[in-house]
Amino acid sequence: MMRRGYALLFFVSLLALCAGCARDSSTRPAPAKVVISVWHPWGGTQKERLAEVIAEFNRTHKDIQVRAVFTPNDLNTDQKLFTSVAAGQPPDATFVDGPQVAAWAELGALQPLDAFIRESGIKPTDYFAPCWQQNSYRGKVWAMTYCADPNFAFAWNKKVFRECGLDPEKPPTTIEELDKMNARITRIQHGRIVRIGIIPWSQFGNANSIYTWGWAFGGSFFEPKTHRITANNPRVVKAMEWMASYARKFDVSLVNGFRQGFGSREQNPFYIGRVAMQCLHISQLDDIAQYAPDLDYGLTYIPAPPDGERHPSWVGGWCLAIPKGSRHPKAAWEFLRWCCRDPKGTQAVGRMQSLLPGYRKSPYIDEVKTRPGYSQFLRIMEECRHQRPVMPAQNFYMGSLDRAVDYAIYGRMTCKEALDKSTSETQTELDMRLAGR
Amino acid sequence: MKAKASTTERRNLRNGLLFCSPILVGLAAFTLYPMLASLYYSFCNYPMLKPPVWVGLANYRTLVHDPVFYKSLANTAYFAVFATPAGIITAFLLALLLNQKVKGMAVFRTMFFVPSIVPMVAGSVLWLWLLNSDYGLINTILRSAHLPAPGWMSSPDWSKPALILMSVWGVGGWMLIYLAGLQDVPIDLYEAAEIDGASPLQRLRHITIPFMSPHLFFTLIMGFIGAATYFTQAYVMTGGQGGPVDSTRFFSIYLFQNAFQYWKMGYACALAWILFILILVFTLVLFKTSARYVYYGGEK
Repeated sequence: MMRRGYALLFFVSLLALCAGCARDSSTRPAPAKVVISVWHPWGGTQKERLAEVIAEFNRTHKDIQVRAVFTPNDLNTDQKLFTSVAAGQPPDATFVDGPQVAAWAELGALQPLDAFIRESGIKPTDYFAPCWQQNSYRGKVWAMTYCADPNFAFAWNKKVFRECGLDPEKPPTTIEELDKMNARITRIQHGRIVRIGIIPWSQFGNANSIYTWGWAFGGSFFEPKTHRITANNPRVVKAMEWMASYARKFDVSLVNGFRQGFGSREQNPFYIGRVAMQCLHISQLDDIAQYAPDLDYGLTYIPAPPDGERHPSWVGGWCLAIPKGSRHPKAAWEFLRWCCRDPKGTQAVGRMQSLLPGYRKSPYIDEVKTRPGYSQFLRIMEECRHQRPVMPAQNFYMGSLDRAVDYAIYGRMTCKEALDKSTSETQTELDMRLAGR
Repeated sequence: MKAKASTTERRNLRNGLLFCSPILVGLAAFTLYPMLASLYYSFCNYPMLKPPVWVGLANYRTLVHDPVFYKSLANTAYFAVFATPAGIITAFLLALLLNQKVKGMAVFRTMFFVPSIVPMVAGSVLWLWLLNSDYGLINTILRSAHLPAPGWMSSPDWSKPALILMSVWGVGGWMLIYLAGLQDVPIDLYEAAEIDGASPLQRLRHITIPFMSPHLFFTLIMGFIGAATYFTQAYVMTGGQGGPVDSTRFFSIYLFQNAFQYWKMGYACALAWILFILILVFTLVLFKTSARYVYYGGEK
């Protein structure tokens, strides 16, 4: 009997608690500000800098409050965002990697921004062309460019050039010159690499390397009108053959073992002079200033063969989008507009995060025109013609190209075979995704 | 009298079920339902954000013609065939050594057990350094002994042996199971054998190993299942790609790539079910044949 009494008491108190909750929520005053959540991929110093950007936004917007949540996504991990969209609980806005925009749009993870864009009077020409193209898919715009990364600047170590009897003010402009300089610079002792000129497939991963050199050699990777994958384009094959020639020259396991010995930042092999030439990402300017302030280096355009593309580059960088099911799309759009198009907002992003805005009329663009390092990146951006293929199987393509490079440099396939395989398997995947399967 | 007993029984059953209900509900919601759902999805195209569409056996048909499926299966088989016995033998030898009566044994036991509680990701990063072909400790030792220093994780021929070597490092858990088992071997049998003039090797062969066979069998099964679903270390150490040249693209990595990188949830579910069936069949075969080599004390 006693026990039953306790149970009853417990039950009643539980009910009372529930009732209390209900009453509490019904009488809570409506919030004066709209609070929106934004998922971002940045850790470390960039996270702190993003916090400054968001503080600035919150300061200038009395009615919107942005709450940034670190929820990384990249070409391989979208589970969290997809789960949240599928469950109807997405963030109000999210960062999205440029090459993922088309796939996310195709799958229905994002909502189109065209109505907002029209309302705000934004024109495609406000942006660097590849940035706008990257976010346009099936006749609609799905994201706004937060930062335009001109990929890449070509950096050379002047000190190493001097040591090797090369003119430190004359970087290679052609692949032939690059090969010659590499031969002068590379030193192998007792079966170990002491220093190497360049590792062609080490430009931010296998896939980004083949994109970089493929375009430099005048190749193409995708035919947008017919949705054809063209990884086996003869010039891309040529680029791959050039990459693989380095693997044959120096024993690929040796080179990759050498690569694995390094890390980022203060361990970056370029910063410490073990690799003399390297494609450089814009964020590394700050990195070098912080971790290798004495590095004597120069920046120029990526070298290309005479029959290839002059000053080759492609755009990378993060974009902002509004997921399907966002509860405050209007407020989210204001955040997108401010960060990606507003003169003050783009200036804040540029200044605080040292990133180049995609909005080409941003006052920040004028600020960096004369700044060492950044000015070269800006010149590259202004000439930039490419973005990675805008199609919904881009992450599959990246993985496939990654493996194709592996098979080619390890000599398990010829370059042509590897790229043929990549072409056919990606085409199959793309056709499947376009068919909505 | 009878009626009363059945009331008690019924009450016991009710209370028993009530006490079990949290785990029953948990199992049903978080194991049974996902399993059945994955079986259903394996017959569907399911890109996660769109509703699944029934396609019958299409996923399984694709799978039969998928070269990467066979490649990943072969990688996994290679790993299971070498890593499981290597782990069992190492753990058993360690347990034998650590079962000696030597001063400071607790310290030694702890030392050999510690690796198995190192978090997998941290351990993987540590081993990336140990295995580094230029500066790694392992190659430094090999070079000083004038032995060839392989490329380990940068060589398609050495990447799997490297992972097997690393898996042997973490056998502390099995070692602990064996140590517990070794305490249970009746001492009088050893004494009798010693009086009969049996050598230490004979005692090991005819007393220790038969008495330890249930423990060895248990670790064989668990080891095989663990190897068949091997994922984390290879994922961390190859940046999620399973390189170089697909040499560490294990079954689970390929499954993960399909599910979470290519959003082919239906195909990934089909892969998962194939793996489940393979493990099930193999485990059943092991169990069926176990009577021949597993000795449970007390049997005739």
